[in-house]
Amino acid sequence: MRLIAALFWLVMSPAYADDLAQLRRPGVPPREVPADAPLTVDPGAVAPPSRDLRYEMAPVPDRWRLVETIGVPDDPWNPYRQSTIKGDRPIYKDYFFGFSAILDTVYEPRSFPVPVGLQSTGNPGDNDAFGRTPSNVLSSSLIISSAIIKGDTAYKPPDFELRFTPVINKNRVEVDEPRLLYPDPSRGTTRTDQFIGLQDAFLDYHIRNVSDRYDFDSIRVGIQPFISDFRGFLFQDNQLGVRLFGTRSNNLWQYNIGWFRRLEKDTNSGLNDAWHEPRHDDVFAVNLYRQDFPVLGFTSQATVLHNRNREGEEGFHYDKNGFLQRPAPIGFERPRDYDVTYFGLNGDGHFGRFNLTASAYYAHGKDRNNPFTDEQADIRAYFAAAEPSIDFSWLRLRLSGAYASADRDPFDRKETGFDAIFENPQFAGADTSYWIRQAIPLIGGGGVALSGRNGMLASLRSSKEEGQSNFNNPGLVLLGGGADLDILPELRFSLNANRLWFADTKVLDTLRMQEGISRDIGWDLSAALIYRPFQTQNVVLRLSGAVLLPGKGFKELFDSFEGNKTYYSVLSNIVLTY
Amino acid sequence: MTRALLLLAILIGISGNARAQQALTAAEVTQILSQAASEAQARGRPAAIAVVDRVGNVLGVFQMTGANNADPGVAPVGIPANPALRTVRVFDNPRGQNTGLNGAPFVPDTLAAITKAITGAYLSSNGNAFSTRTAGQIVQNQFNPGERNAPSGPLYGVQFSQLPCSDLNLRATSGTTGPKRSPLGLSADPGGFPLYKNGELVGGVGAIADGAYGIDVNVFDRDQDTDELIALAGTVGFDAPANIRADRITVDGKLLRFSDAARGNLASDPANPAALSSIAGSVVAVTGYFSGTIQAGQAFLAITSGFALDGHTYGLLSVILVDHTATRRYDPIAGAGLTAAEVTSIMRHALTVAGSARAQIRQPLNSSAQVTVSIVSGTGEVLALARTVDAPVFGTDVSLQKARSAAFLSSTQAASFLRLTDTARMAAPVPLLSPLESLVTTYLQQAQGLLGPNAFADGVAMSARAIGNMARPTFPDGIGGTPSGPLSRDAAEATPGSTGLQLDLVFLDIVTHVLFVRGDAPADAASQCTRTPAPMGTRVLANGLQVFPGGVPIFRGETLVGAIGVSGDGIDQDDMIAFLGLHRAASELGTGLNNAPAARRADQLTPNGVRLRYVSCPVQAFLGSRATNVCRGL
Repeated sequence: MRLIAALFWLVMSPAYADDLAQLRRPGVPPREVPADAPLTVDPGAVAPPSRDLRYEMAPVPDRWRLVETIGVPDDPWNPYRQSTIKGDRPIYKDYFFGFSAILDTVYEPRSFPVPVGLQSTGNPGDNDAFGRTPSNVLSSSLIISSAIIKGDTAYKPPDFELRFTPVINKNRVEVDEPRLLYPDPSRGTTRTDQFIGLQDAFLDYHIRNVSDRYDFDSIRVGIQPFISDFRGFLFQDNQLGVRLFGTRSNNLWQYNIGWFRRLEKDTNSGLNDAWHEPRHDDVFAVNLYRQDFPVLGFTSQATVLHNRNREGEEGFHYDKNGFLQRPAPIGFERPRDYDVTYFGLNGDGHFGRFNLTASAYYAHGKDRNNPFTDEQADIRAYFAAAEPSIDFSWLRLRLSGAYASADRDPFDRKETGFDAIFENPQFAGADTSYWIRQAIPLIGGGGVALSGRNGMLASLRSSKEEGQSNFNNPGLVLLGGGADLDILPELRFSLNANRLWFADTKVLDTLRMQEGISRDIGWDLSAALIYRPFQTQNVVLRLSGAVLLPGKGFKELFDSFEGNKTYYSVLSNIVLTY
Repeated sequence: MTRALLLLAILIGISGNARAQQALTAAEVTQILSQAASEAQARGRPAAIAVVDRVGNVLGVFQMTGANNADPGVAPVGIPANPALRTVRVFDNPRGQNTGLNGAPFVPDTLAAITKAITGAYLSSNGNAFSTRTAGQIVQNQFNPGERNAPSGPLYGVQFSQLPCSDLNLRATSGTTGPKRSPLGLSADPGGFPLYKNGELVGGVGAIADGAYGIDVNVFDRDQDTDELIALAGTVGFDAPANIRADRITVDGKLLRFSDAARGNLASDPANPAALSSIAGSVVAVTGYFSGTIQAGQAFLAITSGFALDGHTYGLLSVILVDHTATRRYDPIAGAGLTAAEVTSIMRHALTVAGSARAQIRQPLNSSAQVTVSIVSGTGEVLALARTVDAPVFGTDVSLQKARSAAFLSSTQAASFLRLTDTARMAAPVPLLSPLESLVTTYLQQAQGLLGPNAFADGVAMSARAIGNMARPTFPDGIGGTPSGPLSRDAAEATPGSTGLQLDLVFLDIVTHVLFVRGDAPADAASQCTRTPAPMGTRVLANGLQVFPGGVPIFRGETLVGAIGVSGDGIDQDDMIAFLGLHRAASELGTGLNNAPAARRADQLTPNGVRLRYVSCPVQAFLGSRATNVCRGL
């Protein structure tokens, strides 16, 4: 239908009509039809028109009203019909309006090591450091996205796009020990909070096309999504920035040049806090993608990101609940600045039947004030991850491996623990996995998390959202395997088993004044069901469960009041999309 | 004499000192003083400098001409100024009115220097080197100081230990035996360091030149503190080993501070100091502390140091105290409700727990905790006191303070004792120095308002930790905008120089002592803090109240019979050693002794919805074991 409409639109213009005679695929010589070839097997058929034949033209109002006249009405309620608020028809000239709404609700019972309150406990007889582990989160986000787009996007990139996506979140957390949610133990063990975050607010301007293939240069200004690599190992966020991007050579090459000034995050929702001054933290990113390299079906990317953090001057930053976030309450706890440049090579695609995602980063920079020495330190850290997989009809088998380097001596002048800027790893089970989903407080080792929520690195940050990167960390080794089973078109079942180790525990030894903590974190086993009753993304139900079977190192760090040796994470999630 | 001492040692069962302990020679003391004085001279900041040995003997005091002369001879109200005196001013309360010792302008600078030197020596050991800067970091209203919502420093209150009125700490009249008292308790003013020889702690050096007996309330910057630079110059050649300094030791993940000053900041060359005799100033006598003649230090654990090894009393190697006649102090004895055998068993078990406990504040990592353990009767009589070999000296007095504090506030007599204390105070010749000091019943009334009218008379078992919960500037601890704890000064007034009940119990003793040293009071403070003509006896709080964790009361059934106090390592370790040591002894003895019945413990109380704590045992308690939650259910 759209094809016909577009053709009509094209032929309306005399200039295009003139060009029509020359219409052909760019770069491909016109294919001459051999004169002696049989035109058709059906001698009674009408002969095809000559390539140079001029069409008869009749003016019509425009292609969108045209479809209305032929009986396709506007239906704002059914996203699968023509809808003006879904961008199917213009609101004015070739200005389109796109609207979507997503209600994403999570109920998450989980357990993780919890400290008993320092100044006060929940119960009498709490004589030890480890408290009751069960807790749960109920969080619901309404994501409302609106965009005004100029230009018909069926064939070419839009001329500009103005997008605005506020997210309204309400969340409630219940725990069993005081002082986990608020520093003041008298504030209890339940917290209800809400926030309106701004996840998109950008103007995307199409600067120019640079080829007949609509290779282009565009610039996007404002709060926008950005991902540093295919799986979000280093920086995946919606952040305030300016980004120049485009393609070349029929989209074989893609590039991004961006500058982001990171916004503060709301503590309890994790959403962008656009109502505060942005952080004194800039990310400069340059990357280049090459499709079908080295083989057809595999995309390679090279990237350089520079993270310039100047939060040493801002004084102390506390989160909404009152906990210190910057500087992190470990080591000397003195405010600090750092500069770190990440050099990355990433790839995603397939080699024949084998799928592969791989990432490698080297971090090189300076920490102006190493938290353990109070002196300038060189940052030299690296990270590598790969996930090969193979598909057998409805079954995909996966292997995952990741290595993040550790800092082996916190008191030297080098920081060799790898930390990301803002990771969001879609890897090794992602948020299905216990280790990636849950934040684990480093009890007795400072107000930092062993690993952050929705994070894989054991980077000992105060939090992923509000803390600074920390390159004095124990690193990580992950080896795992998994399977995705498309049991029904509507139903996918995934299994993951990851074995986790620290790369080196010297930093943990120092923070806990406990020598010889084992590297063994343990087994992370998880399973997930994803049910899409209508085979669409409009209703997605997800249920996953994970357990962490602690290894020696984890047991040397943590325990629970109940004496449970297993920790769990259950995610039940309904996503309704309009 | 030596033979006689040796014989005595054998007689009293001292096993002898296996390792050669180091000590400062008189020449080294002179060297240290000259190094520090040369730095002071190079900076044009005349200083008072003191050197002490590990057990607190003052080995030398050098006062430079013109030192601390901003307010020469300032005297307390009613006492004529003495222009010959050089005095320093205690730091002001940054948030409001000065109370307690805050703003006190009349402290002789020699006393400040001695206090700083003693602090460097007392807080340190062969496994940890702490300075007065370290002390300042761990005694403030927050840890780290200035971090909003952070609970108080783990050693909040330790500054009021080693008091000049202590019945445990000895005086200069006791010859070379320690532990010696300290004029102002422990100091939080940068400019006091420990001194080491061949990796062994041999003493401390303290300096003051800036006229201010201060505290660093901002530990997040780096200061160039004159006192600290001068004292640091004194340590050169006697430096603490780098791997055991405070800045290699974390508490709850936070590194402690050792020194903001670095060797490179010095204005002089400590390797080539000016001769002490060439520096304007003199070695000065200090009443009650120093004769005026530079002397050598005592080797720690030599019997003349007052600390001696003992192999048999508790069936394991420990260190006991001896006096200047080489008589053992604090051998296990029976008290009301406790037999000597029971006391011995509790001590043995506590020392055993310490021996297997993973230290919090020592390097190398996975050292065992080093502590002093005190056991007292329900009325504060010392029933036993013993130490592990390398326990820091400050814990000697502090362990006894904690034991006595737990026994005292767990007693049904505590409220009446506090009332009698006020009666005695009002009868003293010196009128109440309000608003610097308060009547102690002020705190009783606050506590009764919070806990109920029978507070401190109802026999609730109060651990040192629970007492600490109530003795913080805010309640709950560290949370801004909340009222002060009932045993604390008002939140706007509470500082490390004015803690509340703890200080007010001994305020007059400290002031009396300082005036005596100045020559403005006829008599020194008695060797018994908090004198009260009370039915509870004279030892109830005879070395002062302590308000940080590490002590629990001992019960026989429902009856309070005493308390055990532990000090020297992390506060969680101190708690555990006291609590588990008592529990294990009780299990072995089977005589009805135990920790307080759970239903009587302070953690049953939830004033203002904030449950008090009883004990908190550490995250990974023991060496060679992954056991956690080791105090659970006990």
